[in-house]
Amino acid sequence: MTMDSILSDLKAINDKYQMFHAMTSDTEAGDAKFLFSAKDNLTSMDMETCAGSRILEGYHPVFDATCIDKIRKAGGKLIGKTNMDEFGFGTFSTNSGFEIPRNPFDLERACGGSSGGSACAASVIEDHVSLGVSTGGSICCPASFCGVYGIAPTYGRVSRYGLIDYGNSLDKIGVLSQKATDLKKFMEMIAGKDERDPTSMVQPEFRTAYRRMGSVAVPKEGIEGLSKEVESAFKSALEDLRSMGVDVDYVDMPSLKFAMPAYYVLATSEASTNLARYVGMRYGHQEGDHSLKFDDYFTAVRSQYFGDEAKRRILLGTFTRMAGFGGRHYAKAREVRQVVINDYKRVLETHDAVLAPTMPFTAPRFDDISKMSALDSYKADYLTVPANLAGTPHLSVPCGYDSNGMPVGMQFVADHWNEDVLFSVAEDWEKQFDLRRPEVSI
Amino acid sequence: MKIGLECHVQLPTKSKMFCSCPTEDCEFPNTYVCPTCLGMPGSRPVLNRQVLVYGIMIAKMLNCEINDTTWFARKTYFYPDMSKSVQITQYDNPIGERGVYYLDGKKPIRITRIHIEEDPGSTKRTADLTSLVDYNRSGVPLAEIVTEPDIANPAEARQFLTQMIGDIKHLLQIPADLEWEVKCDCNISVGTERVEIKNVTGLKNAEKALHSEMVRQIAMIKAKKKIVRETRRYDPDRDVTISMRVKEFEDQYGYIDEPDLGIYHIRELADSIRIDESPQNKILRLSSQYGIDQKMAKQLVNTSMDLADLFEDVAKDFGVADAVKWVGGPISANWRAMEERDGEVDLSRLKDFIRDFADGKITDTQCAIEIKSYMTGVDASAAQEESAGLEALINGFLDENPRIVSDYQKNDKAANQVIGFVMKQTGGRYSSAEVVETAKKLIEARF
Repeated sequence: MTMDSILSDLKAINDKYQMFHAMTSDTEAGDAKFLFSAKDNLTSMDMETCAGSRILEGYHPVFDATCIDKIRKAGGKLIGKTNMDEFGFGTFSTNSGFEIPRNPFDLERACGGSSGGSACAASVIEDHVSLGVSTGGSICCPASFCGVYGIAPTYGRVSRYGLIDYGNSLDKIGVLSQKATDLKKFMEMIAGKDERDPTSMVQPEFRTAYRRMGSVAVPKEGIEGLSKEVESAFKSALEDLRSMGVDVDYVDMPSLKFAMPAYYVLATSEASTNLARYVGMRYGHQEGDHSLKFDDYFTAVRSQYFGDEAKRRILLGTFTRMAGFGGRHYAKAREVRQVVINDYKRVLETHDAVLAPTMPFTAPRFDDISKMSALDSYKADYLTVPANLAGTPHLSVPCGYDSNGMPVGMQFVADHWNEDVLFSVAEDWEKQFDLRRPEVSI
Repeated sequence: MKIGLECHVQLPTKSKMFCSCPTEDCEFPNTYVCPTCLGMPGSRPVLNRQVLVYGIMIAKMLNCEINDTTWFARKTYFYPDMSKSVQITQYDNPIGERGVYYLDGKKPIRITRIHIEEDPGSTKRTADLTSLVDYNRSGVPLAEIVTEPDIANPAEARQFLTQMIGDIKHLLQIPADLEWEVKCDCNISVGTERVEIKNVTGLKNAEKALHSEMVRQIAMIKAKKKIVRETRRYDPDRDVTISMRVKEFEDQYGYIDEPDLGIYHIRELADSIRIDESPQNKILRLSSQYGIDQKMAKQLVNTSMDLADLFEDVAKDFGVADAVKWVGGPISANWRAMEERDGEVDLSRLKDFIRDFADGKITDTQCAIEIKSYMTGVDASAAQEESAGLEALINGFLDENPRIVSDYQKNDKAANQVIGFVMKQTGGRYSSAEVVETAKKLIEARF
């Protein structure tokens, strides 16, 4: 497919898969060297940006996110803003204020979340790279469910300027693609220091030279609670790795079990302060009864336009920050984060990566998701959360398919700033793995 | 009675605390704004390092312990003029803690902490009850100085603020005549329960608000009514405090660390910052080192630090007596007039006149006239005439009111009668400093 033919078919493709909330109306690529898309929580001047929330409906940012700006300057054309869980709050992209993306392998199934639209676009559109954002696993989860490669780099590797925050100490911008080689190419484009995001200023040099992965550690805690089919696909992938000359060891990482509660305390504490700015005054929806006192007006707007999951996380986060609880929950969670980091450091002293399946099951059906409680869906992230809490770079690669043909993914976690070893293993894996493309018809 | 203050002062940076927007006043609302100080989604703060430097300077001046590391916190509350509904401030590990600042060099006022934070914008209510919000001030850096409840009464609160603000202005090189708004939250308890008066603007109002609240609390206690812990505001027009709300407790703001800004290791920076002697310390040192009374030292320093420096310079070359006589006398009296001429006067030239006098080349009357003439640019003979006119006027008044001289020996306030008379007679012809100086000289000559 040429770029022009993709652009002219874009609306039809989107009608089927619903990966974009906003998209370009251009049908010609012009001077562009390639096309790309970005998650709807990355600001772009030419398209509405809502972070999947109705409270930001109609918002047109006045500046481009640094990562979008950099790709545009490299010759990329932004074709759409991808659907996502509202502000990143979810595992299936079903908590969106707008359209819910459909899994390219089975339209009745979810794409995963919260970068579901990005994974869908990467899977469906040829030669396509989509920018995603991970807070607790939001790149690897949908990459796994949609059968594509996805990388979340070290925290601080990519400037977060222009990223609509979920949890600032956790958010990372990364890329999703069908091609492992594209991960490196695009990460190289967007990585680097940016004075507008102080947390990006401490990073060491971004390495891209090949560095073979010699050994992986599989934590016993990471292979509990898997579905049968994920377990068997993962085990057969371990055999493939061994045959590639990678040593596989089983290890204990007891801290991984505590990562989940610590993550939800930190993420929701930060999220509840980030979402405080959405009051219907400065951007997005501004209608409502202006004769009300300001707090009543703010409450009315927030009640009407935030989705249920956003409200739940605001309440959770406010609770964990409040009187008497701040010390018990928030401060404790900070300590746990350090324990998890130390646990990774310990294992990564003797191994190049920690490896486990990305998700404990393959993409679920929408009707099954609707039966899940909030806690059920939070629990689904237990394999992706620890690396996110630790800020370590992680990569999901497709590693098999279940009996319904749904993709299974596995996730490598490397030490801070060691993205190079992840790119290398992804490229080696790509050479021997038989990737299935979804059948795309319009 | 216990009084503690939380005092907010603006730090004189050129750009805002977390973005590059200018901090200067602007006639039109929402002109000096950008995505960061408007809190647009995706924007984030970048700390202006000069804010840390100013914060450390004030912490040093207040003799605080400076923390090795400092960081920022998010304080969450909803208010229309707060662009993010979150204020970036400091909570744990502020820049400085546990300081002490001496009132008049004697009474210690303990400083709880000093931290830096961003100012919100401002809200204006129009006649038709519409609220308009202006974010020009949003993100302007402030230092908040919190004292222990060591202040004894409203007058002392004002004295404390006046002295401290004077010292800070000098420290941060804020021009003396620049209008520079200081806002205070005043905490006062006459009995056991503490009441906070929020957002009082200006030093005079701080004293008045505290006084008014003190009177209210005393009346409550006399009537055996319970004082509730609450936040009140001060209405300067009616001179009363009005209840706003029951006092919030700190925890209700749900502070968390500001995740977009890191931890700042400031030990080295703090060690590298040397601060000049504060005006208050200079007053204390001049008076003890040269044996002059504090009033004289205060007059010198408050007129100008340069004048005080000149005093030290002259004392070194000619002795303290001549420094008092000339720098404390005619030079001080003509200082303001000289300042208006803006840089035309070379201070070292003044020492030539003093040297001529010390060498016996000119009389003290001639010396005084030379100084005045040189500093004000008035022709020497005209200056002589003027001075003679002033002296004649005062001598005439003293001849008619000889009791003033004997009263003055008991209490030097008696000179005020003479000063008042002359000012009335001559309007603005002589500077008040000159009148005061001449009056005292002529009274003392009659002892």
